[in-house]
Amino acid sequence: MSRIFIFQKGIMKSVAMRNSTFILRSSHYLLAWGSVALVTAFLITLRAALDTALVSLLYLIPLSLITAFWGLGPGLTSAFLTFLTFNYFFIQPYYNFAVHRPTDVVILVIFLIAAIVISQLVGRMQSSLAAATAREREATQLYELSTALAGLHDRHTIAKIIAKQVQEFSHGEAVELNITGTEAFVLRLPESGQPPRPAEWVGPIQVARGVLGEIRLWRAGPALTSGEKRLLQTFASQGALAFERARLAQAESRARVLEESDHLKSVLLSSVSHELRTPLSTIKAAASSLRSDDVHWDSAARPELIAAIDDEADHLNMLVGNLLDMSRIESGVLKPLRDWNILSEIVSSVLVRMKHLAEEHRVEVDMPESLPLVPVDFVQMEQVFTNLVSNSVKYAPEKTVISIRAFVDGDVLHVIVSNQGPQVPQEHLEKIFDKFFRVTAADRVTGTGLGLSICKGIIEAHGGKLWAENITDGLAFNFTLPLIWAGMPPPKLPMDTETE
Amino acid sequence: MSNEPHILVIDDEPQIQRAIRTILTEKGFKVTTASRGEEGLTLAATNEPDIIILDLGLPDMDGVEVCTRLREWTQTPIIILSVRDSERDKVAALDKGADDYLTKPFGIEELLARVRVALRHSTRTQGTQSKVIKAGTLTIDLVWHIVKLGEEEIKLTGTEYKLLAYLAANHGRVLTHQNILTEVWGPADADHTEYLRVYMRQLRKKLEADPERPQYILTEPGIGYRFISDG
Repeated sequence: MSRIFIFQKGIMKSVAMRNSTFILRSSHYLLAWGSVALVTAFLITLRAALDTALVSLLYLIPLSLITAFWGLGPGLTSAFLTFLTFNYFFIQPYYNFAVHRPTDVVILVIFLIAAIVISQLVGRMQSSLAAATAREREATQLYELSTALAGLHDRHTIAKIIAKQVQEFSHGEAVELNITGTEAFVLRLPESGQPPRPAEWVGPIQVARGVLGEIRLWRAGPALTSGEKRLLQTFASQGALAFERARLAQAESRARVLEESDHLKSVLLSSVSHELRTPLSTIKAAASSLRSDDVHWDSAARPELIAAIDDEADHLNMLVGNLLDMSRIESGVLKPLRDWNILSEIVSSVLVRMKHLAEEHRVEVDMPESLPLVPVDFVQMEQVFTNLVSNSVKYAPEKTVISIRAFVDGDVLHVIVSNQGPQVPQEHLEKIFDKFFRVTAADRVTGTGLGLSICKGIIEAHGGKLWAENITDGLAFNFTLPLIWAGMPPPKLPMDTETE
Repeated sequence: MSNEPHILVIDDEPQIQRAIRTILTEKGFKVTTASRGEEGLTLAATNEPDIIILDLGLPDMDGVEVCTRLREWTQTPIIILSVRDSERDKVAALDKGADDYLTKPFGIEELLARVRVALRHSTRTQGTQSKVIKAGTLTIDLVWHIVKLGEEEIKLTGTEYKLLAYLAANHGRVLTHQNILTEVWGPADADHTEYLRVYMRQLRKKLEADPERPQYILTEPGIGYRFISDG
C-alpha cells in the first residue's frame, strides 16, 4: 500500500513540475525573495533588541528553509539578497551599504559564506533526495511489472499487463501493443481506439532472436523526459522477456505432449500388431490347410479349422472395434446418443450375444423390475457390459459366478459387475483402467489392454464414475450412471391394463 | 430372362463384391454388381433386380441418398451394408425406406437370412400375405386378433397387441424405433423410445419363456426390434 502511495505522490510531483516548469520556477524565486523581505521586515521591528551577530544567525534559518523548499537557485539568490538587506538594514550606519566597524565586516563575510554553503548543502541534499525518490519509483514500477508478469504464459494477458503499466506510469491517453510474428495480434488500451495522430513514443519489444513487436504510446502535453523514456524502454524489455518465457514454456509443453503421444503410438503399434497377428496367423494357417490337399473333405479336422477361422475373424473384428472406440474416446468424439433405456434389456442383449464366450461361467443377473429407466446410449452401454463381462470371463476361473446387479443410490444408478477371479493389488486398482495396463504378463491373456479404459471412457462420457474394488471372494467393477437427463428424472409411463 | 432371383450389389470394395457374388451365385442367385451410386441407380432402373444390397459408404454419393432416390420409384427391397458404430446412418437409411441391414463383417447365414426375408416381402407385396404367424409355440392370428402360446390364449392389452401384430406382420425384418412408435403410438410419439422399451418388456414377459434371453422378439442394438418367425 505504502509503495503505491509513494508512487502516486511521485507522479503528482513530477507532473506538476513538468506542466508549468517556467512559471513554477519563477514563482519559486518570487516566493523566496518575498520570504526574505518578510523576514527582514520582521527583524527590523526587533532591531533595537537584537545584536548584529544574532540577526545574522536568525537570517540563516529562513535561508536554509528557502533552499529546502524551493531549491538551490532561489536559495543562492536569497543568500545574496539577504547579504544586501543585512548590510542595509542591520549594520550601522543603517540604510546604506557602508560598513564602518571591522567586526561588522567579519560578520558580513562570514554570513555570506555561511549562507552560500548552507544553501548549497541543503540544495544538494534536496536534489539527491529527489533522485533517490525517482530511482525508488522506477524500481517499484519495475518490481510491480515483473511481479505481475511472473508465471504468465498467455501472450494476451502479458500484453494487457504491459499496456496497463505503461499507461499508468506515463498517464498516456492510449497505448497499443503490436505483436508481430506467427500469432500476431494488436492490443489497444483503451479498446475504443487511438487518437488520430502519430504516437508520441514508440519502443521496440526486442529479444535476442529479433523484434517481437512494438509499444506505441500517445500522450498529449509535455514531451517525455529521458528518464521516462528509459523506464518505458525497460518496460518493453521486461515484456519481451515475458513473451519469450511464454514461448519457451509453450514449446516445452508441446514437446512433452508430442513425446507422450509418440510413446503411446509406439506402445499401441506394438500391442496392436501382436494382437492382430495372433488371430490372423490362425486364420491363415486354417485357410491354407483347407485349400491344400492335406485335409480331406471328410476329415474331422475340417469343421474344426472352419470354426477356428470363424471365431478368429470375430476376435479380429472385436479388436478393431476396440481400437476404434479408443481412438474416439481419445479424440473426444465419443458422444453418447442417449435415450431412456431399461438396463436389464441392455444386459440381456449382451448376454445373448456372449452366449458362447460366457458358457464356462455362471452369469447371475439381479436387476429388480422396479429400477427406473436410465438415460444412456444403448450400444455404448452394451460395450461396457461386454468388456466388463469378458474381462471377468478372462480372469476368473471356470465354473465360478459372474454377478451383475444394480440399485438406485440417490439420483444415480449404481451397477456392480463382480467375479470370483483373482484380486488386484491395491496399488493397481486404478491403473487397470489405464490403456495397455495389465496386472498379468501380456502373453498369458489375450486382448488389447483397452477394454477397461474404453469402459471408463464411455461411463465418463455419460457423466458417471467407474472403479474397481477387491471383494471377499474376487473383484468387483462398480459404476454409476446419472438418472437425471437434461434436468428430467426418469419418466413414469401411463400403462394400459385392459386386455383385448 | 431367367427365373432365378436377381440381386444387385452396390459396393465399391472389390473383395466384398467378389465374396457376395461367389456366395450368392453358389446359392442360385443371379448377381449384378456396381461400385458407384450413380451406376447402381442406373442398373436398378434397367435390370429391375429383386433385391438391392447397398453399401452405405460409397465413393460418389451417400448411401442414404441412394436409398431415398431408389424409393422415389421402386419398392424393391434394399438391404443396407454398413460397419459397426454407424447406427445413426443405418437408422437414417432404414427410415428412408431401406428394408434391412447387415453389419460388416457378416456371416453367410445372416446374409442369406436377410435375402430370404427380403424376397418373401418382395413377393408378398405382389401376392398374398399370411394371416397367421407362427414362431415356436407362439401363434398370432392377425385376422381374429388371437395370440396363443401352445393351446393357451395370451391376454394382451390393446397397445401390446398392436405392437406384437406390427412386428409379426413384418416378421424377419428389422423395424426401427421410430417406425414402430409411429405405427403403434402415432407420429406425435415417434421420439418416445421409452414407451417402446417399457411395453416391449411387458410383452416379452407374457410371451417369452425366458424374457432375459428372448427368442421371438430380438433387440437390434441402437436400431430397433426384429420378430423371428418359423417361416
